[in-house]
Amino acid sequence: MVTASDTASLQVEITPQRYLTPATAQKLLNEIYSNGGVARIMIHGPNLPRTIPYGPGKGTPIDENKDLLIEVAGQAFELSVKVGRVRLELESEEYMPGLKAACERALPFSFQIKRGKFFHTRPTLSDYAKYGDVEDKRILGLIDPKAKKDKLAILSEEKVTIEDEER
Amino acid sequence: MAYTPQFYPGSTSVGINRRKHMSGNVEKLRDIPEADVVAIMGHRAPGADYSSTHPPLKEMGEPDCPVRQVVEPTAGAAAGDRIRYSQWTDSMYFAPSIPYFRSYWGAINCKGCDPGTLSGRQIIEARERDIEDYTKTQYDSEMTDVALCSMRGCTVHGHSLRLEENGMQFDMLARTEMGNDGNVYQVKDQVGIPLDKKINLGKPMSEAEAKKRTTIFRFDGVPMGGKVGARKFDEAIEMTHHMWERRSKWGYRPE
Repeated sequence: MVTASDTASLQVEITPQRYLTPATAQKLLNEIYSNGGVARIMIHGPNLPRTIPYGPGKGTPIDENKDLLIEVAGQAFELSVKVGRVRLELESEEYMPGLKAACERALPFSFQIKRGKFFHTRPTLSDYAKYGDVEDKRILGLIDPKAKKDKLAILSEEKVTIEDEER
Repeated sequence: MAYTPQFYPGSTSVGINRRKHMSGNVEKLRDIPEADVVAIMGHRAPGADYSSTHPPLKEMGEPDCPVRQVVEPTAGAAAGDRIRYSQWTDSMYFAPSIPYFRSYWGAINCKGCDPGTLSGRQIIEARERDIEDYTKTQYDSEMTDVALCSMRGCTVHGHSLRLEENGMQFDMLARTEMGNDGNVYQVKDQVGIPLDKKINLGKPMSEAEAKKRTTIFRFDGVPMGGKVGARKFDEAIEMTHHMWERRSKWGYRPE
Protein backbone atom coordinates (compact mmCIF):
# COMPACT_ATOMS: atom_id res chain seq x y z
CA MET A 1 0.00 0.00 0.00
CA VAL A 2 1.29 3.41 -0.84
CA THR A 3 0.90 6.00 1.85
CA ALA A 4 0.29 9.47 0.58
CA SER A 5 2.75 12.04 1.82
CA ASP A 6 1.33 14.59 4.21
CA THR A 7 3.71 17.25 3.01
CA ALA A 8 3.92 18.91 -0.34
CA SER A 9 7.63 19.58 -0.04
CA LEU A 10 9.84 18.74 -2.94
CA GLN A 11 13.41 17.48 -3.07
CA VAL A 12 15.62 18.44 -5.99
CA GLU A 13 19.20 18.05 -7.03
CA ILE A 14 21.02 20.62 -9.14
CA THR A 15 23.94 19.23 -11.15
CA PRO A 16 25.96 21.85 -13.02
CA GLN A 17 27.97 20.71 -16.02
CA ARG A 18 31.21 21.85 -14.38
CA TYR A 19 32.58 22.04 -10.86
CA LEU A 20 31.97 25.46 -9.38
CA THR A 21 34.56 27.90 -8.18
CA PRO A 22 33.82 29.37 -4.74
CA ALA A 23 32.68 32.62 -6.38
CA THR A 24 30.13 30.89 -8.63
CA ALA A 25 29.03 28.65 -5.77
CA GLN A 26 28.41 31.72 -3.63
CA LYS A 27 26.44 33.35 -6.41
CA LEU A 28 24.37 30.23 -6.99
CA LEU A 29 23.61 29.65 -3.32
CA ASN A 30 22.62 33.29 -2.82
CA GLU A 31 20.34 33.16 -5.84
CA ILE A 32 18.73 29.98 -4.50
CA TYR A 33 18.35 31.54 -1.09
CA SER A 34 16.81 34.72 -2.47
CA ASN A 35 14.30 32.61 -4.40
CA GLY A 36 13.02 31.46 -0.99
CA GLY A 37 11.20 28.33 0.07
CA VAL A 38 14.34 26.38 0.99
CA ALA A 39 13.63 23.96 3.83
CA ARG A 40 17.12 22.52 3.82
CA ILE A 41 20.09 22.47 1.51
CA MET A 42 23.28 20.50 1.11
CA ILE A 43 26.30 20.97 -1.10
CA HIS A 44 28.14 17.96 -2.36
CA GLY A 45 31.38 17.37 -4.25
CA PRO A 46 34.88 15.98 -4.02
CA ASN A 47 36.82 16.71 -0.88
CA LEU A 48 39.43 19.46 -0.85
CA PRO A 49 42.00 18.32 1.70
CA ARG A 50 44.07 20.93 3.53
CA THR A 51 47.16 18.74 3.45
CA ILE A 52 48.29 15.97 1.12
CA PRO A 53 46.57 12.88 2.54
CA TYR A 54 49.06 10.24 1.45
CA GLY A 55 52.11 9.54 -0.68
CA PRO A 56 55.65 10.89 -0.43
CA GLY A 57 54.36 14.42 0.15
CA LYS A 58 52.00 13.44 2.97
CA GLY A 59 51.29 16.31 5.32
CA THR A 60 52.42 19.07 2.93
CA PRO A 61 49.90 21.93 3.15
CA ILE A 62 47.74 22.65 0.09
CA ASP A 63 47.39 26.41 0.15
CA GLU A 64 44.96 26.47 -2.77
CA ASN A 65 42.37 24.62 -0.68
CA LYS A 66 42.59 26.93 2.33
CA ASP A 67 40.33 29.83 3.20
CA LEU A 68 37.71 29.15 0.57
CA LEU A 69 35.29 31.38 2.36
CA ILE A 70 31.90 32.09 0.91
CA GLU A 71 29.08 34.16 2.29
CA VAL A 72 25.56 32.90 1.88
CA ALA A 73 22.63 34.92 3.13
CA GLY A 74 24.81 36.91 5.46
CA GLN A 75 26.58 33.93 6.99
CA ALA A 76 30.16 33.12 6.08
CA PHE A 77 31.50 29.59 6.03
CA GLU A 78 34.47 27.77 4.65
CA LEU A 79 34.10 25.35 1.77
CA SER A 80 35.72 21.98 2.31
CA VAL A 81 34.45 20.45 -0.93
CA LYS A 82 34.49 21.44 -4.57
CA VAL A 83 30.87 22.25 -5.24
CA GLY A 84 29.54 19.73 -7.72
CA ARG A 85 25.94 19.20 -6.69
CA VAL A 86 23.41 21.08 -4.65
CA ARG A 87 20.61 19.10 -3.08
CA LEU A 88 17.74 20.90 -1.49
CA GLU A 89 14.23 20.57 -0.25
CA LEU A 90 11.73 23.16 -1.32
CA GLU A 91 8.67 23.89 0.75
CA SER A 92 6.39 23.55 -2.24
CA GLU A 93 6.16 23.24 -5.97
CA GLU A 94 5.60 26.96 -6.43
CA TYR A 95 9.31 27.68 -5.86
CA MET A 96 10.46 25.45 -8.73
CA PRO A 97 10.26 27.97 -11.60
CA GLY A 98 12.13 30.50 -9.46
CA LEU A 99 14.81 27.92 -8.67
CA LYS A 100 15.35 27.19 -12.32
CA ALA A 101 15.59 30.90 -13.07
CA ALA A 102 18.05 31.33 -10.18
CA CYS A 103 20.30 28.62 -11.63
CA GLU A 104 20.11 30.20 -15.07
CA ARG A 105 21.17 33.54 -13.64
CA ALA A 106 24.04 32.16 -11.58
CA LEU A 107 25.53 29.46 -13.79
CA PRO A 108 27.37 30.36 -16.97
CA PHE A 109 26.97 26.80 -18.33
CA SER A 110 24.31 24.15 -18.54
CA PHE A 111 22.90 22.28 -15.56
CA GLN A 112 20.35 19.61 -14.72
CA ILE A 113 17.65 19.76 -12.10
CA LYS A 114 16.41 16.37 -10.97
CA ARG A 115 13.48 15.68 -8.70
CA GLY A 116 13.66 12.74 -6.37
CA LYS A 117 14.28 11.70 -2.82
CA PHE A 118 17.72 12.77 -1.74
CA PHE A 119 17.51 12.99 2.06
CA HIS A 120 16.74 10.00 4.23
CA THR A 121 13.96 10.21 6.77
CA ARG A 122 15.10 7.84 9.50
CA PRO A 123 18.44 8.02 11.31
CA THR A 124 20.91 5.43 10.11
CA LEU A 125 23.16 3.48 12.42
CA SER A 126 26.00 5.84 11.52
CA ASP A 127 23.87 8.83 12.41
CA TYR A 128 23.05 7.29 15.77
CA ALA A 129 26.63 6.27 16.50
CA LYS A 130 27.91 9.72 15.74
CA TYR A 131 25.22 12.04 16.96
CA GLY A 132 22.91 9.99 19.20
CA ASP A 133 19.27 10.90 19.08
CA VAL A 134 18.82 13.64 16.56
CA GLU A 135 16.06 15.92 17.70
CA ASP A 136 15.67 17.99 14.59
CA LYS A 137 14.93 15.47 11.85
CA ARG A 138 15.70 18.06 9.18
CA ILE A 139 19.41 17.49 9.56
CA LEU A 140 19.03 13.84 8.53
CA GLY A 141 20.54 13.30 5.15
CA LEU A 142 22.63 16.44 5.45
CA ILE A 143 25.34 14.53 7.23
CA ASP A 144 28.02 12.71 5.34
CA PRO A 145 28.38 9.52 7.38
CA LYS A 146 32.12 9.41 6.70
CA ALA A 147 32.79 13.07 7.39
CA LYS A 148 34.36 14.34 10.55
CA LYS A 149 32.29 16.74 12.55
CA ASP A 150 34.40 19.72 11.60
CA LYS A 151 33.34 19.17 7.99
CA LEU A 152 29.75 19.94 8.89
CA ALA A 153 28.32 23.40 8.39
CA ILE A 154 24.67 23.98 8.99
CA LEU A 155 23.19 27.34 8.22
CA SER A 156 19.76 28.23 9.35
CA GLU A 157 17.77 31.16 10.56
CA GLU A 158 16.75 29.03 13.51
CA LYS A 159 20.34 28.04 14.28
CA VAL A 160 19.99 24.34 13.76
CA THR A 161 23.27 22.89 14.97
CA ILE A 162 24.70 19.69 16.25
CA GLU A 163 26.59 19.59 19.50
CA ASP A 164 30.21 19.35 18.66
CA GLU A 165 31.30 17.25 21.59
CA GLU A 166 33.59 14.29 21.05
CA ARG A 167 32.12 10.91 21.87
CA MET B 1 57.62 -5.46 -49.60
CA ALA B 2 58.31 -4.21 -46.08
CA TYR B 3 55.81 -5.23 -43.46
CA THR B 4 53.69 -2.44 -42.03
CA PRO B 5 52.14 -3.32 -38.71
CA GLN B 6 48.40 -2.79 -38.44
CA PHE B 7 47.30 -1.50 -35.09
CA TYR B 8 43.64 -0.70 -34.78
CA PRO B 9 40.62 -1.03 -37.04
CA GLY B 10 38.07 1.54 -38.01
CA SER B 11 37.76 4.64 -40.09
CA THR B 12 36.46 7.00 -37.40
CA SER B 13 38.69 9.84 -36.21
CA VAL B 14 39.09 8.01 -32.90
CA GLY B 15 40.17 4.84 -34.70
CA ILE B 16 42.73 6.83 -36.69
CA ASN B 17 44.02 8.53 -33.52
CA ARG B 18 44.27 5.19 -31.76
CA ARG B 19 46.38 3.89 -34.63
CA LYS B 20 48.59 6.96 -34.36
CA HIS B 21 49.13 6.48 -30.65
CA MET B 22 49.87 2.79 -30.96
CA SER B 23 52.26 3.24 -33.86
CA GLY B 24 54.10 6.05 -32.06
CA ASN B 25 53.58 8.28 -35.06
CA VAL B 26 52.35 11.19 -32.95
CA GLU B 27 52.65 14.85 -33.68
CA LYS B 28 54.93 17.01 -31.55
CA LEU B 29 53.05 20.01 -30.25
CA ARG B 30 55.28 21.63 -27.65
CA ASP B 31 58.75 21.46 -26.22
CA ILE B 32 58.98 21.35 -22.46
CA PRO B 33 62.61 21.52 -21.29
CA GLU B 34 64.02 18.27 -19.99
CA ALA B 35 64.91 19.83 -16.64
CA ASP B 36 61.28 20.84 -16.16
CA VAL B 37 60.04 17.34 -16.94
CA VAL B 38 62.52 15.97 -14.40
CA ALA B 39 61.31 18.48 -11.81
CA ILE B 40 57.65 17.57 -12.42
CA MET B 41 58.43 13.87 -12.06
CA GLY B 42 60.03 14.68 -8.71
CA HIS B 43 62.28 11.63 -8.45
CA ARG B 44 65.55 13.56 -8.55
CA ALA B 45 66.58 17.20 -8.64
CA PRO B 46 67.36 18.36 -12.17
CA GLY B 47 71.08 17.90 -12.76
CA ALA B 48 71.54 15.50 -9.85
CA ASP B 49 73.06 12.06 -10.30
CA TYR B 50 70.90 9.09 -11.06
CA SER B 51 70.62 6.65 -8.20
CA SER B 52 71.47 3.12 -9.20
CA THR B 53 70.62 -0.40 -8.15
CA HIS B 54 73.62 -2.10 -9.70
CA PRO B 55 76.95 -1.10 -11.29
CA PRO B 56 76.98 -0.35 -15.02
CA LEU B 57 76.60 -3.53 -17.08
CA LYS B 58 80.04 -3.13 -18.62
CA GLU B 59 81.66 -3.24 -15.19
CA MET B 60 79.56 -6.17 -14.01
CA GLY B 61 80.89 -8.75 -16.42
CA GLU B 62 77.79 -10.37 -17.78
CA PRO B 63 77.54 -14.11 -18.34
CA ASP B 64 77.96 -15.46 -21.84
CA CYS B 65 74.34 -15.40 -22.97
CA PRO B 66 73.17 -15.23 -26.61
CA VAL B 67 70.07 -13.21 -25.68
CA ARG B 68 72.13 -10.59 -23.88
CA GLN B 69 74.34 -10.37 -26.95
CA VAL B 70 71.38 -9.85 -29.25
CA VAL B 71 69.39 -7.38 -27.12
CA GLU B 72 71.04 -4.05 -26.68
CA PRO B 73 70.31 -2.64 -23.22
CA THR B 74 68.59 0.72 -22.87
CA ALA B 75 70.67 3.64 -21.60
CA GLY B 76 69.14 3.29 -18.13
CA ALA B 77 69.70 -0.45 -17.94
CA ALA B 78 73.30 -0.10 -19.15
CA ALA B 79 73.98 2.44 -16.40
CA GLY B 80 72.18 0.41 -13.71
CA ASP B 81 69.55 3.05 -12.89
CA ARG B 82 66.76 2.60 -10.39
CA ILE B 83 63.28 1.86 -11.68
CA ARG B 84 61.10 4.98 -11.54
CA TYR B 85 57.58 5.72 -12.65
CA SER B 86 55.48 8.35 -14.29
CA GLN B 87 51.75 8.23 -13.85
CA TRP B 88 49.12 10.08 -15.85
CA THR B 89 45.51 10.92 -15.32
CA ASP B 90 43.58 11.77 -18.46
CA SER B 91 40.11 13.22 -18.34
CA MET B 92 37.32 11.26 -19.94
CA TYR B 93 36.10 14.61 -21.30
CA PHE B 94 37.94 14.12 -24.60
CA ALA B 95 41.51 13.97 -23.35
CA PRO B 96 43.75 13.07 -26.28
CA SER B 97 45.01 9.89 -24.69
CA ILE B 98 43.09 7.55 -22.48
CA PRO B 99 44.72 5.11 -20.08
CA TYR B 100 44.83 2.09 -22.40
CA PHE B 101 46.32 4.03 -25.25
CA ARG B 102 49.16 5.41 -23.20
CA SER B 103 49.82 1.79 -22.27
CA TYR B 104 49.69 0.58 -25.85
CA TRP B 105 52.01 3.41 -26.82
CA GLY B 106 54.40 2.43 -24.04
CA ALA B 107 54.28 -1.29 -24.66
CA ILE B 108 54.80 -0.97 -28.40
CA ASN B 109 57.19 1.97 -28.64
CA CYS B 110 59.19 2.13 -25.42
CA LYS B 111 61.92 -0.38 -24.78
CA GLY B 112 62.30 -1.83 -21.30
CA CYS B 113 59.20 -0.36 -19.75
CA ASP B 114 56.32 -1.77 -17.76
CA PRO B 115 53.04 -0.03 -18.48
CA GLY B 116 50.07 -0.53 -16.22
CA THR B 117 46.52 0.55 -16.88
CA LEU B 118 44.04 1.25 -14.15
CA SER B 119 40.50 2.55 -14.40
CA GLY B 120 41.39 6.22 -14.35
CA ARG B 121 45.14 6.43 -14.50
CA GLN B 122 48.07 4.98 -16.29
CA ILE B 123 51.54 4.30 -15.02
CA ILE B 124 54.76 3.42 -16.82
CA GLU B 125 57.75 2.12 -14.95
CA ALA B 126 61.21 2.00 -16.42
CA ARG B 127 64.84 2.77 -15.63
CA GLU B 128 65.14 6.38 -14.56
CA ARG B 129 66.84 7.91 -17.58
CA ASP B 130 64.56 5.93 -19.89
CA ILE B 131 61.36 6.97 -18.14
CA GLU B 132 62.46 10.60 -18.23
CA ASP B 133 62.84 10.30 -21.97
CA TYR B 134 59.47 8.56 -22.39
CA THR B 135 57.73 11.10 -20.17
CA LYS B 136 59.13 14.01 -22.14
CA THR B 137 57.93 12.40 -25.35
CA GLN B 138 54.44 12.11 -23.89
CA TYR B 139 54.45 15.70 -22.62
CA ASP B 140 55.63 17.12 -25.92
CA SER B 141 53.36 15.14 -28.19
CA GLU B 142 49.69 15.27 -29.05
CA MET B 143 49.09 12.50 -26.52
CA THR B 144 48.91 15.20 -23.88
CA ASP B 145 46.69 18.21 -23.49
CA VAL B 146 47.96 20.23 -20.58
CA ALA B 147 44.46 21.03 -19.28
CA LEU B 148 42.90 17.59 -19.61
CA CYS B 149 45.93 15.45 -18.74
CA SER B 150 48.30 15.73 -15.84
CA MET B 151 50.95 13.73 -14.10
CA ARG B 152 49.73 12.46 -10.78
CA GLY B 153 51.81 10.15 -8.66
CA CYS B 154 49.20 10.04 -5.92
CA THR B 155 45.66 11.34 -5.34
CA VAL B 156 44.84 10.64 -8.93
CA HIS B 157 41.11 11.42 -8.98
CA GLY B 158 40.07 13.36 -12.02
CA HIS B 159 39.54 11.01 -14.96
CA SER B 160 35.81 10.56 -14.50
CA LEU B 161 35.02 13.81 -12.72
CA ARG B 162 33.51 16.85 -14.31
CA LEU B 163 35.89 19.57 -15.42
CA GLU B 164 36.47 22.77 -13.52
CA GLU B 165 34.92 26.01 -14.72
CA ASN B 166 38.07 27.01 -16.59
CA GLY B 167 38.17 23.69 -18.47
CA MET B 168 40.91 22.10 -16.37
CA GLN B 169 40.67 18.57 -15.08
CA PHE B 170 39.80 18.56 -11.38
CA ASP B 171 42.83 18.03 -9.15
CA MET B 172 42.43 17.71 -5.42
CA LEU B 173 46.07 18.68 -4.84
CA ALA B 174 46.02 21.61 -7.30
CA ARG B 175 49.19 20.58 -9.10
CA THR B 176 48.43 22.64 -12.19
CA GLU B 177 46.79 26.01 -12.50
CA MET B 178 45.45 28.16 -15.28
CA GLY B 179 47.37 31.43 -15.47
CA ASN B 180 45.85 34.79 -16.35
CA ASP B 181 47.69 34.65 -19.66
CA GLY B 182 45.79 31.50 -20.68
CA ASN B 183 48.77 29.21 -20.17
CA VAL B 184 48.69 26.23 -17.85
CA TYR B 185 51.37 26.22 -15.16
CA GLN B 186 52.65 23.28 -13.20
CA VAL B 187 53.13 24.45 -9.62
CA LYS B 188 53.72 21.13 -7.90
CA ASP B 189 55.44 17.89 -8.81
CA GLN B 190 53.50 14.71 -9.49
CA VAL B 191 53.07 13.90 -5.79
CA GLY B 192 52.00 17.43 -4.84
CA ILE B 193 55.23 18.87 -3.42
CA PRO B 194 55.54 22.54 -4.49
CA LEU B 195 58.12 23.26 -7.19
CA ASP B 196 60.75 25.98 -6.82
CA LYS B 197 59.34 27.80 -9.84
CA LYS B 198 56.18 27.57 -11.88
CA ILE B 199 56.63 25.62 -15.09
CA ASN B 200 54.83 26.95 -18.13
CA LEU B 201 53.23 24.05 -19.97
CA GLY B 202 51.71 26.20 -22.69
CA LYS B 203 48.17 26.75 -23.82
CA PRO B 204 45.57 24.01 -23.57
CA MET B 205 43.76 22.65 -26.59
CA SER B 206 40.41 24.11 -27.51
CA GLU B 207 37.41 21.86 -27.01
CA ALA B 208 37.16 21.25 -30.76
CA GLU B 209 40.86 20.43 -30.97
CA ALA B 210 40.62 17.98 -28.06
CA LYS B 211 37.65 16.27 -29.71
CA LYS B 212 39.63 16.01 -32.93
CA ARG B 213 42.63 14.40 -31.24
CA THR B 214 40.89 12.23 -28.67
CA THR B 215 41.14 8.45 -28.45
CA ILE B 216 37.98 8.03 -26.41
CA PHE B 217 34.78 6.78 -27.96
CA ARG B 218 31.84 8.67 -26.52
CA PHE B 219 28.24 8.79 -27.54
CA ASP B 220 28.36 12.59 -27.43
CA GLY B 221 31.54 12.57 -29.50
CA VAL B 222 32.44 9.78 -31.88
CA PRO B 223 30.68 6.55 -30.89
CA MET B 224 32.43 3.21 -31.24
CA GLY B 225 29.95 2.04 -33.87
CA GLY B 226 30.73 4.98 -36.12
CA LYS B 227 28.06 7.25 -37.47
CA VAL B 228 24.81 6.93 -35.55
CA GLY B 229 22.09 5.50 -37.76
CA ALA B 230 24.46 4.23 -40.46
CA ARG B 231 23.57 0.91 -42.07
CA LYS B 232 26.82 -0.67 -41.06
CA PHE B 233 28.81 -0.39 -37.86
CA ASP B 234 32.38 0.83 -37.97
CA GLU B 235 34.99 -1.91 -38.20
CA ALA B 236 36.14 -1.14 -34.63
CA ILE B 237 32.94 -2.47 -33.12
CA GLU B 238 32.82 -5.42 -35.50
CA MET B 239 36.33 -6.39 -34.49
CA THR B 240 35.43 -6.10 -30.81
CA HIS B 241 32.29 -8.21 -31.30
CA HIS B 242 34.30 -10.77 -33.20
CA MET B 243 36.92 -10.97 -30.47
CA TRP B 244 34.34 -11.29 -27.72
CA GLU B 245 32.48 -13.97 -29.61
CA ARG B 246 35.62 -16.00 -30.20
CA ARG B 247 36.73 -15.49 -26.65
CA SER B 248 33.36 -16.48 -25.17
CA LYS B 249 32.83 -19.53 -27.35
CA TRP B 250 36.29 -20.95 -27.70
CA GLY B 251 38.52 -19.17 -25.22
CA TYR B 252 40.00 -17.18 -28.11
CA ARG B 253 41.53 -20.20 -29.73
CA PRO B 254 41.77 -19.45 -33.41
CA GLU B 255 40.76 -22.93 -34.61
